[in-house]
Amino acid sequence: MIVVDHIVKRFKTVHAVRDVSFTAQDRRVTALLGPNGAGKSTTLRILATVIRPDAGTASVGGLDTTKKAMAVRREIGVLPHNSGLYGRLTGVENVRYFGRLQGMRGSALEQRIDALVEQLDMRDFAHRRTAGFSQGQKIKVALARALIHNPQHVILDEPTNGLDVMATRSLRQIIRGLRDDGKCVLFSSHVMQEVAALCDDVIVISQGQVKFDGPLAGLCASDGTEDLEDAFIRVSEMMNNEVAN
Amino acid sequence: MSFRVVLAKECIDNMRDRRTLLSSFSLAALGPIFLVGVMVFVLERALGESDEPVSFAVIGASHAPQLMRYLEDQDTDIVNIASADPKALVASGDYDLVLVIHDDYADRYMQGITNSLTLAHDSSELSSTRQQLMKLNAMLYRYSRTIGMLRLQLRGVDPSISLPIVTQELDIASPAARALTVLASLPYFLVLVIFMGGFYLAIDTTAGEREHGSLEPLLSQPAGRSQLVLGKIVATSVFGAVGLVLFLISLYIAVPFVPFERLGMALEIGVWQLLGVFFVSLPLIFFAAALLTVVASFAKSYKEAQTYLTLVILVPTLPLIFAQLTNVDATLSTMFVPSLGQAGLMADLIKGDSVPALNVAVSMIMTGLWGAALALIATRLYQREGILG
Repeated sequence: MIVVDHIVKRFKTVHAVRDVSFTAQDRRVTALLGPNGAGKSTTLRILATVIRPDAGTASVGGLDTTKKAMAVRREIGVLPHNSGLYGRLTGVENVRYFGRLQGMRGSALEQRIDALVEQLDMRDFAHRRTAGFSQGQKIKVALARALIHNPQHVILDEPTNGLDVMATRSLRQIIRGLRDDGKCVLFSSHVMQEVAALCDDVIVISQGQVKFDGPLAGLCASDGTEDLEDAFIRVSEMMNNEVAN
Repeated sequence: MSFRVVLAKECIDNMRDRRTLLSSFSLAALGPIFLVGVMVFVLERALGESDEPVSFAVIGASHAPQLMRYLEDQDTDIVNIASADPKALVASGDYDLVLVIHDDYADRYMQGITNSLTLAHDSSELSSTRQQLMKLNAMLYRYSRTIGMLRLQLRGVDPSISLPIVTQELDIASPAARALTVLASLPYFLVLVIFMGGFYLAIDTTAGEREHGSLEPLLSQPAGRSQLVLGKIVATSVFGAVGLVLFLISLYIAVPFVPFERLGMALEIGVWQLLGVFFVSLPLIFFAAALLTVVASFAKSYKEAQTYLTLVILVPTLPLIFAQLTNVDATLSTMFVPSLGQAGLMADLIKGDSVPALNVAVSMIMTGLWGAALALIATRLYQREGILG
């Protein structure tokens, strides 16, 4: 379970996160939905322990992300915004590197790599250098890298960016599979269809604040409309007006 | 230990990059060969000229048969010319050097009056004539002195009375030390190859890692920042060390091709000396890697890092240039300065001088401490959020 409690993060000139609180449950796919620059990535980076909130707390599996950063890093698997692979290493070498950094060694590590290569359907390209990979292949390797230590919490930053239809479908299936395994899956997106197709819970963020938090059906119901996109825009605007007032 | 995982990955990763390998090691592997090539070329030319016989034309050789016999016995190549204008002969370029013996030579000789010989040459010409002129002058002086002494002896006078002062040169520089002046640029190379070896690796593991977007996932792994940074610095050190080893091997192969013995010098660079150089340079390798890593960590991009590091490489050569300009010897106080200490120790080791253990210890410990301080700074940098750019 991921709990974010009134976090605030300000960079030099940008107030990236003003006040964000939410809870992402185990065995659920939770979406952070919002326009570009809403504060989604900053929130996920705080959960990934690479930056610290100025105020408020965030915890993963009951562990504080600032006080117990090391322990949190064992609990999470992070798929970054761009895949961030090492181009001169093969797919498997990329995965193995992070497995070793997670403290895995020997046959346990190799078996886990083999299992992920199977699970993510990477057999055809796993042993090639990643420099020339397609976006879909890169995402798969990056996902295998994030899942190598079988973390309970999976954090995905705009995972379907740049994927074609087939790759997107296959990624959705993988994410559903993770949920069915009992994982807590948190992903960010600005694509409405993505959220509608995949998530159980939605958190709408705009201008660094939470505008909506609840099950997917609730977002439409709260607005009295069937269309998620309309609902999203209205929720965002409604809150912006409140801020303006 | 995560640091070993990072170390192994960075080494493998960068060994697959041809550009990194080429720029890291080409100077180290080819530098000594290039240096020796230039030296051999220059020396061969200089030696070749001095071995040539002194060639000149003589006008009026028949007036001084005894002198001519003497000159012919020397290492000379003489052309006799009946009669001509010596100026025109030189100006036309037919002869570089013309000796003129005047008609009254024999008469004056008999009477014991000083004979004046003319040596025509063109000093504005860039050629080996100058050396030939000096040699011919020396031959004529020796001949003149011998005749003079014989004359004094005939008159019952001790010839040494005409020689109140003679000088004798005593050059205390060992032959190897003289050879080293030719190899004075080696310490620069030593420092340079160490820095060049780690140059691209330091960029790739810091600014490059950030630019490729792999830094953020790396930092969310459960490995201490000090472990990550140490892994990167040691990987950079490994490349610096490989650069140095290649440089020393190349030196070992190339130096015997220099014709030192023909200069009356001796320089043998043995395996033990090179191992000594490698040993005293170990802290400098770490220092260089830490310095490059710290500076490259400040850069926002790969290109920016390249610009910064090009300047950084100049820094360690500054003490060397300063030391050479001000003639600073490898004393204990220079051992406190990274790069200067190692350069001094290397010079001593190659010269075959004894190297005080205290100097080695001070140099290694001080450079090691500097390196450790820089490694600490690098770790601090990676603990800040700003490292993500």
